[in-house]
Amino acid sequence: MSAPEGRSGSPPVVELQRFSKWYGDVVAVADLSFELRPGVTGLLGPNGAGKTTTLKAICGLLHPSQGEVLLFGRPIRNDPMLYRAIGVVPDGDRLYPRLTVRSYVRLHAELQGLADAGAAAERAIAEVDMQPLADRRLKGLSKGERQRTKVAGAIVHQPALLVLDEPMTGMDPGQRARFIELVRLIGSAGVTALVSSHILAEVERLASQILVLVSGRLAASGDYHAIRDLMADQPRTVMVKADDARLLAAGLIALPSTVAVEVDGDALRARTRSVDSFATALPRLARDQGATLREVRTTDESLEQVFRYLVGRR
Amino acid sequence: MSKSMRLLRFSLGQLLAGRRLVIVALLVALPLVVPAVFAAGADDIDPATFTLDLFRQLVLPVLLPVVALTFSTSSLGSELRDGTVTNLLLKPIPRPAVLGAKYLAAVVASLVVLLPAEAAGHVVAAGGLGSTDLLAGMLLATVVGTLAYAALGMLLSLFMARALLVGLAYALLWEGAVVSAAPSASSLSIRGYTEGVLAAVLRGGGVDLTTRLGPVSATVLATVVTLAALVLAVRRLERMDIP
Repeated sequence: MSAPEGRSGSPPVVELQRFSKWYGDVVAVADLSFELRPGVTGLLGPNGAGKTTTLKAICGLLHPSQGEVLLFGRPIRNDPMLYRAIGVVPDGDRLYPRLTVRSYVRLHAELQGLADAGAAAERAIAEVDMQPLADRRLKGLSKGERQRTKVAGAIVHQPALLVLDEPMTGMDPGQRARFIELVRLIGSAGVTALVSSHILAEVERLASQILVLVSGRLAASGDYHAIRDLMADQPRTVMVKADDARLLAAGLIALPSTVAVEVDGDALRARTRSVDSFATALPRLARDQGATLREVRTTDESLEQVFRYLVGRR
Repeated sequence: MSKSMRLLRFSLGQLLAGRRLVIVALLVALPLVVPAVFAAGADDIDPATFTLDLFRQLVLPVLLPVVALTFSTSSLGSELRDGTVTNLLLKPIPRPAVLGAKYLAAVVASLVVLLPAEAAGHVVAAGGLGSTDLLAGMLLATVVGTLAYAALGMLLSLFMARALLVGLAYALLWEGAVVSAAPSASSLSIRGYTEGVLAAVLRGGGVDLTTRLGPVSATVLATVVTLAALVLAVRRLERMDIP
């Protein structure tokens, strides 16, 4: 997988410099700056956060209202040859229903100018597990199958930069697992992949680096743990199941680090400023009060909670 | 095969996919060939006059603009509306080349439908080859008109979703009604250009056809309008945000 020659000093594969995009009075993305280098990066955000706008700008489909978008150190505008190094899975269906899977992927290979378009198409179809359906027309395929076909079209020329907008839409759990494996493999091969999603569990499995967009602005960026650190001063939630949760709650609320405790049957949900001191105190309290602990877990370790926190904070 | 040629072949296939070619070809051929059959059987009808009248009253004002505008507005415009155009634009092909391939596909698709139907109508009416000057004039005028209408259709499709409607309104209302009432408006009429080209060819064969625009004016204006529409379309495609 090759990248075009850039300026000296190996520029970032993707670089957004104070990128903004607005439509009339509506600001879709505001003052967005980040860099991408090889590896998989997840682009997170709720619907309407500006993910698709950002991806389209990176692909050269949208022109910035302000700021600059550079790929391999060069603006993509008026430089179509950069598309030799870019593979894109855009949002929406965007397929030709009369074509078969094979002819669609081959069309991509031919328009990329590949010497052996047929072989490249077969390889890409195999990578997304679509060989059994290669001669089926696209209009007869399920949404997940059509998504995989789009992915095959995007990777047929082995691009150095892969941009995927909600690529797992419509895929079943098995297909998602294989797709995640494929993207991780592509990322480990030195490709720069940017994958958008509003389903955080997917991105958490896909990407080590994440960008969180909220209301058109970059709310956070970095790896999962770095973003988790943003929450260090925020109360964390611990779920406890015990045979006498009410009695246990009375003891927990007395701890200085406890913010709140809610009891629901045999379970309680405690908000604490210090998970460590909570974890130290809980077994002692249970022993002193004769309660039996059946389950203890934090509930906000997932990116979903990080995301909700970031969304709620704005 | 170059990328542009592959794109042209693909675009042509999209325009004429399935039974679309047969249906459109029949819709164009029937109103030309069926009357020609009756004209061929009538003793008091001059085949050349009949064919020329049919061409000027049916092909130039209706069939030619409808076919060329339909193909040209759907060639790129429909792909912009349904988003499939990203399959083509996200490739190492300059946007002017994409537009050029789409334009040529629309022109070729239109001519594939129009030229055989006109030739068939002419041959049937004449009971043979008939006047070659008339046939050449009709075919050349059709080519010129198709090039101009298709360029207009491409341009409109990059600016609005209802490009076909607007194009047909131009062809049927402006060229049909306004130009008839105000002959000076002929300089803004593609139909006027095609008639001028037809007249130029027929004049070479000794037939004097009265038209509002002379052959030189018609040819120059047709060229200018076609090129201007294509240049504007290229600029629009290069600058527009793709949905």
